[in-house]
Amino acid sequence: MVLDRRKFLLGAGLTGLALGSPRLFAKSPASPGSSPIMRRIPGTSEAIPAIGMGTWITFNVGGDTTLVAQRTKVMKTFFELGGTLVDGSPMYGTASDVVGQGLASLNARDRVFAATKIWTGDESATRQEAQRSRSRWGVDRFDLLQVHNLLGWQGHLETLKAMKANGEVRYIGITTSHGRRHRECAQIMEREPIDFVQLTYNVLDREAEDRLLPLARERGIAVVVNRPFQGGSLFRRFASRPLPGWVGEAGVKNWAEFFLKYIVSHPAVTCAIPATTNVEHMKENMGALYGALPDSEQRQRLADYVRAL
Amino acid sequence: MSGTDWLSYSLQDFIMFGPQVFLRLFVRINQDVWPWSLLAVLIGIVVPLLLLNHRPLFRRVAMGLVSVAWVTSGYGFLVSYFGPINWPAQWFGWAFVVQGGLLGSAALFGGIRLSQRPSGRKADHWLAALWVVAVLGLPLLTVAQSGDWKALGLFGLAPGTTAVASMLVTGFLPGPWRWIYLVVPLLWSLFSAATYWVLQTWWLLGLPVATLIFTAIGLWLSPSRGQSRG
Repeated sequence: MVLDRRKFLLGAGLTGLALGSPRLFAKSPASPGSSPIMRRIPGTSEAIPAIGMGTWITFNVGGDTTLVAQRTKVMKTFFELGGTLVDGSPMYGTASDVVGQGLASLNARDRVFAATKIWTGDESATRQEAQRSRSRWGVDRFDLLQVHNLLGWQGHLETLKAMKANGEVRYIGITTSHGRRHRECAQIMEREPIDFVQLTYNVLDREAEDRLLPLARERGIAVVVNRPFQGGSLFRRFASRPLPGWVGEAGVKNWAEFFLKYIVSHPAVTCAIPATTNVEHMKENMGALYGALPDSEQRQRLADYVRAL
Repeated sequence: MSGTDWLSYSLQDFIMFGPQVFLRLFVRINQDVWPWSLLAVLIGIVVPLLLLNHRPLFRRVAMGLVSVAWVTSGYGFLVSYFGPINWPAQWFGWAFVVQGGLLGSAALFGGIRLSQRPSGRKADHWLAALWVVAVLGLPLLTVAQSGDWKALGLFGLAPGTTAVASMLVTGFLPGPWRWIYLVVPLLWSLFSAATYWVLQTWWLLGLPVATLIFTAIGLWLSPSRGQSRG
C-alpha cells in the first residue's frame, strides 16, 4: 500500500516536473493540472516552488564522504522533483560545505535558489560572512541572505540593504524559529524594506497566524517556513495514526503532505523548507508540491484532526 | 537576546548533528587508522600488565602510554573528526591533549608515585581486571548502538573508552594533581552525557556513567589508601 502510494507520488511529481522544469524535460508535453505549486515573491514577477529544502542537522556530516554522497542523492531527488530553494546557515556546522559539494557534483548551481543566513554578533562582518558562505556553496551570489535569529540585525540589515542595492544579493530578510521574538520580528517587518521573513509554523505551532503571517501579506513580504515537522516530532507523534479518509479531497496522500500542505495552503506562505536525510522521505515531501491544496475549511479540519489525536 | 529568550532554548537546539553522523565517526576513524587500531587494542591490554609490575620504569611506560592515549583520542577523534560537526568538541579535544601532556610530564618528571603499590595485591588485580573490562567491554557500546562492528570505540581512539580506563590511574597521582586530572574527564562526562541524551543513543550513556564509577574506584585504589602519604 505504501509502495503504491510512493509510486503514485513519484509519477505525479515527475509529471509535474515535465510542466515546471523545461530544462529537465524540454521535449515533454505539458499536461494541465499537474504543474508544481509555485508562489510568487511579493512585489516581483518571480515565483518559486512552494516546497524548498532545509539543511539544519541533516547536512552537517563533516568530512564523511559516504554521507556527503548520500546527501547529494537527497539533493538530486529534490531538484528532479522540482525544488529550487535550499536554505542553510553558517551555524549548521559543515552543512554549507556539503551543500556546495552537492551543487558542484549535480551541476546545479544555476538551478538552485540559494538562501543562507548571516550568523555573527559582529555587525560589521556581514560582507565577510556572506563571502565565506559564497565560497562554501560555490555560488556567485546568493538569492537570499537573512539575518539569522535577529543576531545583530541592525548592523547586518543596513549592510544587506546596501548589498542588495549593489546587486550583491537579490533578496534580503530576517529569520526566527521556535516562535521566538515575534514582537521584534513584527517591528522589523513594519519598518524595514525586507523581502523575506523566515519563521516557524506548522499544524501545532500556529502562533505566526496571529500577527506575523497577516503582517507579511499586508507588507508584501515572502514567508519561508522552518520546522514544518516540528523537528520530526510530528511524525513521531502522529505517523502511526491513520490518516482520515476525507484528506484525499484536500489533496493529501500521506502524513508528509498532510503537514506540508497545511502550511503552504496558508495564503501568506511562500515556501516551506522541510529537512531530511532520506531520499524516500524527500520524495514524500516533494509530493506536497503537486496536486490540490486544502481550502480554508479543510485546513481547519486538518488542524482539528491533529489536535484531537 | 533577553533572558527569557535563553529560557526558550532546549538542549536539542545546541546539537547540530544526528546520531547516524556521530556513530559514523567511530567507523571512519577505525577505517582511516587501520591497521594501527590493532596497536591500540594491544596497548590497552599491555597497560594493566605494566601497572601490575612494581618497577618504576614499567609504571612510567604505562603512564606514558595512557598519556599518549589522551593525546591521540583528543586530537584524532575530537579535534579532527568530531570537531568539524560540533565545535565544542574541538575545545575538549585540545583539553584531552593538555591532559595527556600533563600526565606524561608527571610520569617523566616523577610526580607520580611510581614505586608504590595500590592498596594491596587484591587491589592490584582489581585494577587490572577493571582496566581490561574497560578497554575490551566498553568499545562494544558503540557497536550495540550502531549495529556496526566497525564502530568499535577503542582505547586511545575513542574519547569515552579512553577517559573511563584512564580514571583507574587517578590514584597514582599525588594529591593536588589528582584533582586537576579529574577536571577534564568529569566535564567530558557531563558534555557527552548531554549529547547522548539528545541523540537518544542510550547505550552510549554507559560511558559517562562508567567514567564516574571508575573515578570513584580509581580513587579507592589509590596507593595512599591505608598507607602513609610519605
